[in-house]
Amino acid sequence: MIAVRRRTQVAFVAPALILLSGVTVYPLLHVVWLSLRRRLLIFDIDRFVGLSNYRRLLGDDRFLSALANTAYFCGVSVALELVLGVSVALVLNRVRRARGVVMAIVLLPWAIPTVVSAKMWAWMFSADYGVLNYLLGRPVNWLGSPFWALNAAILMDVWKTTPFVVLLVMAALKEIPEDLYRAVRVDGAGRIGTFWYVTLPLVAPMLVIVAVFRTLDAVRVFDAVFVLTGGGPAGTTETLSVYAYELLFQTLQFGYGSTVALSVFLIALLLTGGYLLVLRRLPSRL
Amino acid sequence: MTLHEGGLWGLRVSALVLVVGFAIGPIAWQLITSFKTDAALVRLPPFWPEPWTTANYEAVVQEPSLLRVLMNTLIVAGCSTACSLVLGACAAFSLSVLRIRGAQWILAGVLAVSMFPPIATVSPLYLVVRFLGLRDSLLALILLDSTFALPLGIWVMANFFRNLPPEVYAAARVDGCSVSGAFVRVVLPLSAPGLFATAILVFIFAWNEFLLALTITVTTASRTVPVAIAMFPGLHEIPWGEIAAASIVMTTPIVVLVFFFQRRIIEGLTMGSVKG
Amino acid sequence: MQRPFHMTLHSALVVSAVTWVAANVGGCTHRGEDEAQTARVRLVFKHGKIAGRPDALRGLLDRFEASTPGVEVVETSLPSDSDEQHRFYVINLEGGASEFDVMALDVIWISEFARAGWIRPLDALLSEDARSDFFPGTLDAVTFEGRAYAVPWFADAGVLYARRDLLAEIGAEPPRTWAELRNAARRIRDLHPELHGFVWQGKQYEGLVCNALEYIWGSGGDVIDEGRVVLDSSTNEIALQTMRGWIEEGLTPPSVTTMTEEPARHVFQAGRAAFMRNWPYAYTLLQQEGSAVRDKVVVTRLPAATLGGWHLAVNADTRHPELAERFVRFMTSAEAAKTLALSFGYQPARRSVYDDAEIRANSAFIPGLPDILGAARPRPVTPYYLMMSKILQLEFSAAVSGLRPPKVALARAAEALRHLMGEEGPR
Repeated sequence: MIAVRRRTQVAFVAPALILLSGVTVYPLLHVVWLSLRRRLLIFDIDRFVGLSNYRRLLGDDRFLSALANTAYFCGVSVALELVLGVSVALVLNRVRRARGVVMAIVLLPWAIPTVVSAKMWAWMFSADYGVLNYLLGRPVNWLGSPFWALNAAILMDVWKTTPFVVLLVMAALKEIPEDLYRAVRVDGAGRIGTFWYVTLPLVAPMLVIVAVFRTLDAVRVFDAVFVLTGGGPAGTTETLSVYAYELLFQTLQFGYGSTVALSVFLIALLLTGGYLLVLRRLPSRL
Repeated sequence: MTLHEGGLWGLRVSALVLVVGFAIGPIAWQLITSFKTDAALVRLPPFWPEPWTTANYEAVVQEPSLLRVLMNTLIVAGCSTACSLVLGACAAFSLSVLRIRGAQWILAGVLAVSMFPPIATVSPLYLVVRFLGLRDSLLALILLDSTFALPLGIWVMANFFRNLPPEVYAAARVDGCSVSGAFVRVVLPLSAPGLFATAILVFIFAWNEFLLALTITVTTASRTVPVAIAMFPGLHEIPWGEIAAASIVMTTPIVVLVFFFQRRIIEGLTMGSVKG
Repeated sequence: MQRPFHMTLHSALVVSAVTWVAANVGGCTHRGEDEAQTARVRLVFKHGKIAGRPDALRGLLDRFEASTPGVEVVETSLPSDSDEQHRFYVINLEGGASEFDVMALDVIWISEFARAGWIRPLDALLSEDARSDFFPGTLDAVTFEGRAYAVPWFADAGVLYARRDLLAEIGAEPPRTWAELRNAARRIRDLHPELHGFVWQGKQYEGLVCNALEYIWGSGGDVIDEGRVVLDSSTNEIALQTMRGWIEEGLTPPSVTTMTEEPARHVFQAGRAAFMRNWPYAYTLLQQEGSAVRDKVVVTRLPAATLGGWHLAVNADTRHPELAERFVRFMTSAEAAKTLALSFGYQPARRSVYDDAEIRANSAFIPGLPDILGAARPRPVTPYYLMMSKILQLEFSAAVSGLRPPKVALARAAEALRHLMGEEGPR
């Protein structure tokens, strides 16, 4: 290995870090500070309360129900997206003709603004004149029944973000040398064996990264749910971000709202920690 | 044997059809919707527009600020992509190939930044933008979008650089390349698929960013696509046909771009085979 | 100079605004003349997107500019989604923005913004004399702690749409009470089993509260009475049971729990429902070409109507308070109201405008609307209405979707409201 001066190393990484901290440090501290305060403009209350907002979380039914909804949304959607994403990437990897067109089509859902695609799906989910029920021939109350509503939001999220997984997994697949496949085939491994012993381990690091970013997005899910159901019916689809949004912007509870938002951050932190442990255990090529 | 192969081929084709159908179905429906008249929108059947109308597209195209909005978004998304790709690639290079001390901590810190729920930070970010005097400017959006896209870029590219055989970089240095020379001439070209994949993701992210764009842009001078689409509904009335048409028109540039970038990813494949 | 200065601290902005206002009280006329000669004053008017001819609004602004030399009015629009506007204002006003001077606010935000100190009192614009023309509900909604903080711009109220042809088939008059409405819907359903009886707004959102209040008020109940929570009464239980009853009886489709204004209108406009609760905006659309119910619609008053509408207020941090007030006075005048009504179909908040010959002749306006607007009631006028509403939305949604019996839902909502008013309220 050729030695590099520390100054050079720092010079390469510094601009990105300066931009990141310059833009994000103040907002972060601001939210932490708010989360320790009881700040209700409309009641003229603004005082330091220490950790009492955090204690309040534990006894707040709406927070706990939002937590459960978020966990369900996050678990189901990320799992589906990863499985689907890898399968689609493998299928597409075999496509020889018109590949650009196929790729562009598969990426389309990711290209539509979330707000627009949520409205689009709301239109399709409509029980009375939606195309889904027309094709099914049954009047399913997609967004209006406590059972279906959250699953409908998951369906939309899977449609919207699987392309993200596909794109990155495909890029990682390109890194696998053809020779390796040939060698394994010579050794007599079947298709499943090849996938299990060659493809998956080599794509795994990228898969973990994809899982991290997808999880971070899913934990914070907002638009998909907010536009589709607004948290209803009866709060059965309310996620943590939707609840935080309500506290921050609809009812102006800046202190407690920041606490809920920070709890999302802390949950994401925990989850990512878990993923990174997995990533560390993976065989590294370094 | 052939039967088996044929069955596999059939399976693959039907899987492909299913995938493509699932991806394009909702958008195709959006396209069909955009050609329906207001009255036909809420009648199903008929499935197809009866009669076909281009009125929705006429309304969108007549919007005087349409070009402006597209240009704004193109500038914001383009600059954000360039900015976060350049900064991200450099950082990833230092973190993986150059093996800066504490790389893991830096990577973790970078990731932590992207864990914040955007709705919590939009208020303080507004204050930052105000403080910098950048309200209602494209520069503010570029700054924020590229920052929020940076973690993804750094992580994906660090992963790509790490997977390069170490000899490649070492050989380049031995051949007399400077650190940056080796980075630009050897490391980057070899990671082309990762670079282009990241570029597409960042570009689309910046193209679609809504929350910050709405909060920061005040006038049409700096309005972006998602904000413009959000401007279509009236007080109670939601002209669904026009929204459908607008989202089709305003997504087309992305489709063209993705198509173009996709070719670069395939090119990346041939370069990548050097490693074999 | 035209660019807003970027103060870092909120307090600095407040201080500068206060000094400015103080300086302004003494010599505003002098300053006005001064500015007329040197630089034009820019007044920024922020409002939700107005669908329709943009030139009509511009024409109004030009008229104001002509009557007030040295002023340039810039209007910038926000998405008309009420939630997005609320967020925009919260972030900007909490951040001390002074880039806009006059804004159009939803009727339910006024006391909240007033309490937060974001908007200026406008008592001068609503003298005893000026008040007489506005609908009483709209005035109640802009009054907070005895002072007026906004001036009614245009008004809205829940109305009942009925199919004239179907009513004729059963030989009935438009229903006056909830019981009459149910009877009529039943009889029409017996004749036309393929039709929905009644569609309304049942999604968990602000519109659901508007709908539910119409049942509660219509049966003599209320949410708060003289500062006490009276939500969990047996009257209200019956009211909520009536709402749920629509679905249980199959007169309203279960999908009503996803419906906002537009989905309800779509169903009704396609000719698939006998009755609809909605705002007056739907009338023009139902009457347009290609509508399945064109000329078959009759609009009547609901047993009780919730008041909606938008009001003009002045940013507390404005640098041109005098001019902003003048602009509000102009925009809320009968003359401006008439222009807005004819160009955009906005219902004037002033009774006198409806007597105008041109308005009377215009078929877009529902006959009898002034009486409906006159009787419409504002939602509880308190700074914490949005907090209340969030509680009500959740529990009303639970009752309507059948998750909890109305009695339980009301008890839970009442408990939360008492908690809100007792522990956190001003009392």
